[in-house]
Amino acid sequence: MSHDEDERYDESRWQDEAEWHDEPEASVGRDGWPAVAEADLGEVPGSSSIRRYTKEAAKQRAGAKIGTLLSDVYYAGIILAIGVSVAAGVAGSLRSSLPEVSYADGVGVSLPALVGVLVGALVATLVSLAGRLGPVGAGGAEAAWWLGLPVDRRGLLRPAARRLPLVALAIGGVVVALLDGGLLGDQGDRVVRAGIAGALLAALVVLGMAAAQTLGSTRRAGALTGDLLLVAVPVAMGVLAWVGVTPEHLPVPSWPVLGAIAALAVALAWFTDSRLGRIRGASLRESGSVAAQAVGAMVSMDSRELGRALSDGAAPAARRWVSRLRTVRGPVSALVTADLVLLRRSVRHLVQVVLAIAIPVLATVVPQLSGQVPVLMAVLIGGYVAASASAEGSRRAEMAPILDRLLPLDPKTARRARMMVPGMVMTVWSLVVFAAIGRWLGDPLGWLALALPGVLAWAAAAVRAAYRPAPDWSSTLVSTPFGALPTGVGAVLARGPDIVVLGLLPTWIALVLGHVTQVLVMAQVLTALIAVMVASSTSTKTFTERMLDAQKEADEQRKAAQAQAGRR
Amino acid sequence: MAKSRSVVRANKLLVGYGGAPVCAPVSFNLPEGRALALVGANGAGKSTVLRAVIGLIEPAGGSLTVLGAEPDERDVEFRAKVSSVLDDDAYFPGLTVAEHLYLTARGHGMLGARELVAELLEEFGLAEHAASLPTALSSGQRRRLLLAAGFVRPRSLLVLDEPEQRLDLRMRADLADRLNAEKEAGGTVLMATHDAVLVRAVADRAVYVDDSSSPLLKADEAAARIEAEPS
Repeated sequence: MSHDEDERYDESRWQDEAEWHDEPEASVGRDGWPAVAEADLGEVPGSSSIRRYTKEAAKQRAGAKIGTLLSDVYYAGIILAIGVSVAAGVAGSLRSSLPEVSYADGVGVSLPALVGVLVGALVATLVSLAGRLGPVGAGGAEAAWWLGLPVDRRGLLRPAARRLPLVALAIGGVVVALLDGGLLGDQGDRVVRAGIAGALLAALVVLGMAAAQTLGSTRRAGALTGDLLLVAVPVAMGVLAWVGVTPEHLPVPSWPVLGAIAALAVALAWFTDSRLGRIRGASLRESGSVAAQAVGAMVSMDSRELGRALSDGAAPAARRWVSRLRTVRGPVSALVTADLVLLRRSVRHLVQVVLAIAIPVLATVVPQLSGQVPVLMAVLIGGYVAASASAEGSRRAEMAPILDRLLPLDPKTARRARMMVPGMVMTVWSLVVFAAIGRWLGDPLGWLALALPGVLAWAAAAVRAAYRPAPDWSSTLVSTPFGALPTGVGAVLARGPDIVVLGLLPTWIALVLGHVTQVLVMAQVLTALIAVMVASSTSTKTFTERMLDAQKEADEQRKAAQAQAGRR
Repeated sequence: MAKSRSVVRANKLLVGYGGAPVCAPVSFNLPEGRALALVGANGAGKSTVLRAVIGLIEPAGGSLTVLGAEPDERDVEFRAKVSSVLDDDAYFPGLTVAEHLYLTARGHGMLGARELVAELLEEFGLAEHAASLPTALSSGQRRRLLLAAGFVRPRSLLVLDEPEQRLDLRMRADLADRLNAEKEAGGTVLMATHDAVLVRAVADRAVYVDDSSSPLLKADEAAARIEAEPS
């Protein structure tokens, strides 16, 4: 490298340009530097005045009135109530459908132990999420217009710093109360204490991540910690199953312990608040930008954008090694290799695949969950999570089809090529999961024979979901229990899951029946091939829309023919 | 001539992301009341050097002092004295053009903020749009709003990232006058630019930022290099 030579070149200029290269001075600090327009300086206002001014000025021209606000609050309350009621109902019906198991019969893992592990998984997810979100950030305008002001930043950042811990507090409380009261059937004081413990735990996790951010921890470190904790969850479950931990109740903290945890949360909140001003501007900007992108994705119901928001900022800026792409032999292998590199570099998606394997396998070894319906649900969820995790290449291509356009491939071939990586991942997933199901229900070879053609359907579903078009937000709104939504949103969001349900129908039937037949295997081959054909299609219209278009075209042709006949 | 103090001193400064430098080490002193331009091709690392100077990223190597100490944008005094105009095209959706400037002026404790804002709106050709929301402005008008925000507050060092972007020729000439007036008032200017005319009109020296070497040049030499680059 020629840096040394360049520095010598610079040094010679240093001697010639004394003013520009004078000798280093002792550090003089920030004082004593005159400023342009300094004479006009008065007292700098407090950060709360800045916040208040921004809010008041915006309020003057805000279109929303108090009625609109109340209406929004009402709708939010209704949606929340519906969501909690549905979740409570599902948890309750799941509990009543679970078989009674005597814990004295050498059971590997009891349901309370499983719920405990589930809470651990939720904590790990929260660590990962809080790490990826910052959790303290300043969005675009706030970063551009507030962070440069010479005021105490704590006052500016306080509302943002409180938001996530409070949201975590509410969600944590509701979820743990639902698990304890709904799934485990606890009642009264125990459910209240479990809910409060869940709320405090969730708030503590987010506050802990915020405290780490004030100490200089990066978002990548937070995300990686969460991902590693998530991987540890199935490992812990395996250890519990091996050792045979079978508590009959989920341990719920007593009131004094809850008081101590609450005191700890307050102390952590105070510590974080006192250090908010120490968070670097770059960290605040990044976190604010990710949070804005994530909120936008949620509002527009775009899970792909949400995934990008949570992944991109937490990825390292530079790679230690460059992939040699040795497997590239032509356009198709180039596409497949690119998708493989993308998957290999995404820790989040690799963790998802590991968890997606663990979910159905664990369902077959926990006696209370070893029923046809719970295992079917576990296979459905685990399979879809694994397939989605492996289709990042397709999701990127849908947003920016750079590689697809650079390579000499027609769109259908490109989509089929993009099914290769999900196919590879789902082959591994299917071998492990259906071997476990075969071990549980018997006839492992039969289950594997059914699972292998199913791989095609999973891959097709993943690619179809990844390439789904964005909902048309300009179309007519329809009132739903979840607020007003444009027509056609459901059809768009169902692209992908529809293939999971229909393309794997023989597998679902076999799981309900509890055994595999030759007819089901043949049917699975057929439905998988149809799934691949459907997912290869580049049409963005739904089946109904295509039927209507065909009908319209036929009508126009008929009218044209009649008009022609009339002229004759 | 008495030696003036260095407002910015970079010695073998390495900047980059994830520990990987984006350009060759950069060395320069920027004396008080002078202007230094960072020139070079797109992606050469000019904006990254500026980000290090205003404390948004930490140097990957070498040393850097700004106003006599390491740059730290968490320091209130640093923020009070370093004004930067990057390409942050983000605005409060409910605040007008004038309110954005007023917020900045009052946030820095400027007296007579309303008069100052009115003066700058006039100077940057935004007087007619004072009551408009920034989303209603053209891209060039939004750029002028950002530049006006850099001048509506007190500053010892003014850092500009490609200030000529999206400005017409008249506005570029006005900006050059503005920056020369800044120097005459004792202010110091550090800017990244692709505009040879601006370099000749304002800069006293320039650093040609590149991945193989980053030499310090006289303004004319730097302008000639810019003109020689394929457009």
